[in-house]
Amino acid sequence: MNEYVIRFSIRQRIEHVCAMVLFVMLALTGFAQKFVQAEWAQWTIEAMGGIDRVRCFHRGAGVLFTALTVSHLVLGLIMVIRARAQPSIIPTRKDFHDAAMMMRYYLRLSDEQARFDRYDYRQKFEYWGMVLGSGLMIVTGFILCFPVLTTRVLPGEIIPAARMAHGGEGLLAFLVVITWHIYNVHFATDEFSFDSTIFSGKISLERMEKEHPLEYAQLRAEKEKREGTAEAFEI
Amino acid sequence: MACHGNPALSSKLQNGETISLYVDRNGFAHSVHGKFECVACHFDVSRVPHAAEQFVNRRAVTLRYYELCKRCHFQEYSRLLDGVHYAEIAKGNPRAPTCVDCHGAHAIAPPAKPRVLISRTCARCHSGVGAAYASSVHGRALTEENNPDVPVCTDCHDPHNNSNPLAASWHLNIPQLCARCHASKERMAKYGISTEVLTTYLNDFHGVTASLYRSEHKSPVEFTATCTDCHGVHNIARVDGASSPLIKANLLSTCRRCHPDASASFPSAWIGHYEPSPEHAPLVYAVKLFYLLFIPFVIGGLGLQIILHLWRIVVRR
Repeated sequence: MNEYVIRFSIRQRIEHVCAMVLFVMLALTGFAQKFVQAEWAQWTIEAMGGIDRVRCFHRGAGVLFTALTVSHLVLGLIMVIRARAQPSIIPTRKDFHDAAMMMRYYLRLSDEQARFDRYDYRQKFEYWGMVLGSGLMIVTGFILCFPVLTTRVLPGEIIPAARMAHGGEGLLAFLVVITWHIYNVHFATDEFSFDSTIFSGKISLERMEKEHPLEYAQLRAEKEKREGTAEAFEI
Repeated sequence: MACHGNPALSSKLQNGETISLYVDRNGFAHSVHGKFECVACHFDVSRVPHAAEQFVNRRAVTLRYYELCKRCHFQEYSRLLDGVHYAEIAKGNPRAPTCVDCHGAHAIAPPAKPRVLISRTCARCHSGVGAAYASSVHGRALTEENNPDVPVCTDCHDPHNNSNPLAASWHLNIPQLCARCHASKERMAKYGISTEVLTTYLNDFHGVTASLYRSEHKSPVEFTATCTDCHGVHNIARVDGASSPLIKANLLSTCRRCHPDASASFPSAWIGHYEPSPEHAPLVYAVKLFYLLFIPFVIGGLGLQIILHLWRIVVRR
């Protein structure tokens, strides 16, 4: 099956690679600080050249991550406003129905599976979890970086609360990624062991029909309308 | 003693000063060495009268004779060689103490009977520190009630191998130094002082930085506060005393010593030596509780979905 469509644009692919690299850097330098009493954490800090350098890396990566998040949201919003893209990542009522339907399917209460559009409810859940989590990490990270500035306007207890939230949210994000995300992109798809779509941008029509049938149907309809018969086509 | 028992026996030094050669027989007899013969220490004297020696000044006499102690007290002597006092002796500082300057020569008494003697001995040279200590919560408990739990100078500063307390390595070791007493439940229970002071400090930003700098074994890039930077060094006071640098009214100026731009709400960023609880730092406690419940909830939920998914596609297709 050689027929494929371009599912992710170059910008989206670059954003994913950047997010991945920064996430690993932030997690490594962050957990070394959160779990500083542990031996592996002290070893990591020493290997990176001391706590001052680890903090420097962590803050540098945090600034880049902030820039990535802001640019992603702003560019995405511009695309949607200019009608260049569909806001297909926004959760709808259907997603809740889909989730309930899949739950019944998993529990063998029914054999019917939900038919997904461009993004299924799991992908939307993960995306918005990441956006909200990133927002919280950025705000609390800023507070921790500038405690003197923050306490000019906010009460002092914000600082230890932000520290607690930054560590808790970071741990949550990390655990979600290593369980849910890794499972879904490595084991749960037909591309067992590795779904490369986010890197290559390409998804085979076969997989698209199976995993995103509504999007596929729309694509088919548009294609027939255009009467185009190109081997590969973009959306 | 036939000669040295005579109070008038004296000798002229090369700088013109006169030095008494009298040894108080009674004082010696009551000293810790009272049962020894003179030659036990002055082993190089085998005939009477012994050969005369010439000394430039009093200090030269001290430097010649303190070396006699090491024949028996070799451990203390060798430890002395690593300390800051010996470094000063080696540099030729005439005010650096040798064995006899602290312990005495002939009328040597146990150094810590009573313990308050130690502070007085050190204060003979370190008078500024001695005065600060005497008015501190530790010093007052020592002088007023001979309290056995409070530290005297030598509990923090090794009397023989005393490292430089102005060194960065010393500064970073202060939490562990204070914790020798303040993390001891038994000792602190008598005074109603929390023993969580060390762990709460070490878990906080300053403490994390200090312990990492400490394990890196190199000079820290940035200064980080340890116990004494907030509580004071020798002049440590009760934290609830009016003059304490740590009661609410004084806390801001204490923070500003390192954070000059700190505003009035900055000090409450430090929630004290408490674990967050509904009474102390309710907001921090709420956040902590939230993640304690929310993380297992989310990960458990997602894990359950994964298991159900696997079960459906693999086992019960």
